[in-house]
Amino acid sequence: MTDTQDRQRSGLGFVGQRVKRVEDERFLRGAGTYVADVQPDGVLHAAFLRSPYPHATINSINVNKASRLDGVAKVFTGAELNDVTNPFLPFFMLEGLYTPLYKCMSDDKVRHVGDVVALVVAESRYIAEDALELIDVDYTELPSIASIDDALTPGRVQLWDKANGNVLGDIDASYGNVDEIFAKADHVITRTLDCPRQTNQPMETRGTVVEVDPQTGHLDIHNTSQAPHMLKWATAALLVNEGGFKNLGKFVKNAERRSAFLGAAKSFVTTNKEKLKASDPAGQKSQFEKDKSMVKHQMRMASGLLAADDYPTVKAVDIGGAFGSKGPVTREDIAVAAAAKQLGRSVQWIEDRVENLQDGGQAREERFDVSIAVDADGTLRGMKVDAYLDQGAYPAFPISSAIIPQLWKLYMPGPYNFEAFELNTKVLATNKGRVVPYRGPWANETFMRERMLDIVAGELGMSPADLRAKNVMREGSMPDAFITGPSIDETMSVAKTLDRALEMIDFDQLEEDKAAAEARGHKLGLGIASYHEAAPGPPNFFSSAQPGSDMFLYEDGRAEVEADGSIKMYTSQSPHGQSHQTTYMQVAADELGVPMEDVEIVWGNTDRTQFSFLGTGGSRGGPLGAGVMRMTAREVRNQVVEVAADMLEAASGDIEIVDGNIHVAGVPAKGITYADVAAKVATDKRISSGAVFSEEMKYEGVGNGGWSVATHVAWVDIDLETGMVEIPRYLVVEDCGPIINPGVVDGQVRGGVAQGIGAVFYEKHHYDDNANLLSATYMDYLIPTAMEIPEIDIEHMETLTSGENDARGTGEGGMIGAPAALTNAVSDALGVEVHEQYLPPYRLLELAGVITPD
Amino acid sequence: MSSSSSSQSPASRSVSVDPDATLDVSVTINGDTHQLVIEPRRSLADVIREDVGLTGTHLGCEHGVCGACTVMVNGEPSRACLMLAVQADGADITTIEGLANDDGSMHPIQQAMHEAMSFQCAFCSPGFLMSTVALLRDNPSPSTDEIREELSGNLCRCTGYQSIVDGVETAVSLINSGGAA
Repeated sequence: MTDTQDRQRSGLGFVGQRVKRVEDERFLRGAGTYVADVQPDGVLHAAFLRSPYPHATINSINVNKASRLDGVAKVFTGAELNDVTNPFLPFFMLEGLYTPLYKCMSDDKVRHVGDVVALVVAESRYIAEDALELIDVDYTELPSIASIDDALTPGRVQLWDKANGNVLGDIDASYGNVDEIFAKADHVITRTLDCPRQTNQPMETRGTVVEVDPQTGHLDIHNTSQAPHMLKWATAALLVNEGGFKNLGKFVKNAERRSAFLGAAKSFVTTNKEKLKASDPAGQKSQFEKDKSMVKHQMRMASGLLAADDYPTVKAVDIGGAFGSKGPVTREDIAVAAAAKQLGRSVQWIEDRVENLQDGGQAREERFDVSIAVDADGTLRGMKVDAYLDQGAYPAFPISSAIIPQLWKLYMPGPYNFEAFELNTKVLATNKGRVVPYRGPWANETFMRERMLDIVAGELGMSPADLRAKNVMREGSMPDAFITGPSIDETMSVAKTLDRALEMIDFDQLEEDKAAAEARGHKLGLGIASYHEAAPGPPNFFSSAQPGSDMFLYEDGRAEVEADGSIKMYTSQSPHGQSHQTTYMQVAADELGVPMEDVEIVWGNTDRTQFSFLGTGGSRGGPLGAGVMRMTAREVRNQVVEVAADMLEAASGDIEIVDGNIHVAGVPAKGITYADVAAKVATDKRISSGAVFSEEMKYEGVGNGGWSVATHVAWVDIDLETGMVEIPRYLVVEDCGPIINPGVVDGQVRGGVAQGIGAVFYEKHHYDDNANLLSATYMDYLIPTAMEIPEIDIEHMETLTSGENDARGTGEGGMIGAPAALTNAVSDALGVEVHEQYLPPYRLLELAGVITPD
Repeated sequence: MSSSSSSQSPASRSVSVDPDATLDVSVTINGDTHQLVIEPRRSLADVIREDVGLTGTHLGCEHGVCGACTVMVNGEPSRACLMLAVQADGADITTIEGLANDDGSMHPIQQAMHEAMSFQCAFCSPGFLMSTVALLRDNPSPSTDEIREELSGNLCRCTGYQSIVDGVETAVSLINSGGAA
């Protein structure tokens, strides 16, 4: 057993303890540094003119009056900014998928309410908004595509000229002999399940403050980005404003840049030889069939990046939540950077809430036509799904919602022993806001599957609990891999969470509670849902989704001891509420044998941290982010011990470090400190500052599973007079492996469940039949309050594998399980099949037969 | 809807702005009195953040729903996004920066929220803390239901509220055991 595991199990050290948050010292005093708090001297303020129409052509735009307003520095039309920027290119290409190219502003056509048409930069936000009102735009309205049905109807207006209608993606996946299984099974049960549009809605909107160095022109971009390095390179590439030949000339002349580039390219190709070989060119082919211009833009941007002497720095200190919405690089990010560069002045843009509701990130509007093949004894055999995904107007960059079917195809059969599975997904363009990742971007597969299991159980006359218990993968008969590809090890412990949850339900009491509710004019019901997620998943997870796509998915980190003995841990994560600082200090302090406060965590500055494609996302901050902190800290400790052993005239194996005291085991009184050891090395090296010990790593995790799993159980009580719902109990039995900080894990789980409760009972992003946004304020889009969210019981399982364990991610799970458990509970309460995720009071009363649908 | 006639943006209408129209305002924030010259249309929140430089007060929705901008105005919790700064002329205001004890140590409510690990991204926290100050002043021993109801004017998207409710309950015991400032 490793040292770390020992401590995990014994409860010694900081890991595993409910250590209170270091972040609180600044947050609770109002001393955080969120993007809007960055107010450089002389900064100008930006405001966007946005389309009031869902779909229209822009005939002309007149900014004369607005430009003349006192205090306005400049009004940029879309055409002006598009002239000096490159289009967003698809990064993620799939067979059967076309991703339209688009620029940072709209200059000929608007495609959703809130589409960006002009940008005013002025001395204050007030003046900028005054100027917006002075801009005249002449639009011609077009018919709009407002729904999945609209997008599927042939012959309607098209959002994108080069597409076939509004179906941008038609993506297949198939595993096992589906036809044979469906022909042989006793029953095939078919339903259509729906989920309406939701929106992430972090309490802080998006924002960017682009500081321009008047001397050098260097851009310092303070931004709410979950992925600062992605934003840095995307900004650099999209702002390339010179042709290819000119750039190549500059590059050829710049020997230093040339050799750095060729070295990096060689190392990348060598490191990723196998992965590059595995990547499938079919995706690029699909894209090129529709639009060949990508190569031209790629060449221009690549040569421009090579020729450049300077790239932007992105800084993200404190971020007020994101839930996926701040991962993508957005049009506003690029437009504001381009405007600042043009003006040579610093510019701040802070999105307002209406803008955020229009295009700050939307999700989950999906429909599933699903069939399940099942035998009479309840043995699940096969699943076939036709899925429809409403992507909105502009695909997210760099990864569009077309990633979702690639995750669906791995997750959809869930933790059950299906023999065959088939999925077709149509990715649809509509005149609505942009779809972004939202906390478990694929989560509707769990809603769909777990809702269907209850329906199947009902058809077979079984209990939902028995159907699950019969089919769930169990230790002993567990396969080595899912039929969809990814490996399985003992971390696939859904059965353990299900069994434990069932033990914790008092079914006799439930019957009594149901009767009591009935007597009060209420209906009470219970719903169960189980799921697994890759957090981070086995090494072959991403290659199962898409061969070669695991190329960028390691996590970088660095540990350093400086000349004065101070310890710095560098992470490429971009924390926005997950308590990275506290948990990484716990992990590093344990490895290094020092008090937590001796460790400084460095994040959120692309000049100081290593490249990361994803930043914070995908529940990876615990497993891989903390993992690389652990491994680099361990290596640095070994380096320190080597020197300390010399200094103490002992064997390195006899050195212990406790509370920062480096000593020979048993002789703590004769100890030395990190400062002593660092000073020795600094003196030997004749340096007075900088790192004396350093270890940098690309970490891919340990083990062949990396599954984070849970079973959720919801009790709902529905008032048949008002349709209002109470949740008398909500239970999560979760297994995210070794817990770094239970206070943090509980917070993540509860927060996710709260968003799931919102999704089912309160939140729907309403667009009307013409794609006009109706829920553009918090009076219309209802975020649940402390009145609506109940206490949530959490039971931890903490399954460990043999050997060393990473923590497993838990950021997304709450939201994955909750909609399924809650809709199942409603179905149980009302005794009717529920086919949709959104169940506001009027809908509950309709389902209960109290009122009649319109 | 599908007509192809030209139309002007409904947003475009003429406005007249007199940038010179300002008022003198005197306001005490966290014990310091500020003499400010401000445009009448500016919100109290913007003036606190930009003119006074106290950025602990956050703007989440700017339409009075989320409560992140809650500050105490003459002892009453107020939405600084919905109030004009000129309305605060002569007022005594406390923001999150003014909550700590005189010796710099955390106020019991701050301490309690730390103990309870109440927040995550903490963008909403200034509003919750100020609302809690008012809640516990008016009702020193609230029930859990009362806490949930009183804090229902503040939105948090991260926590599911349980840890915040725990924080208020922890504050009650801290204050009742003599930890009050």
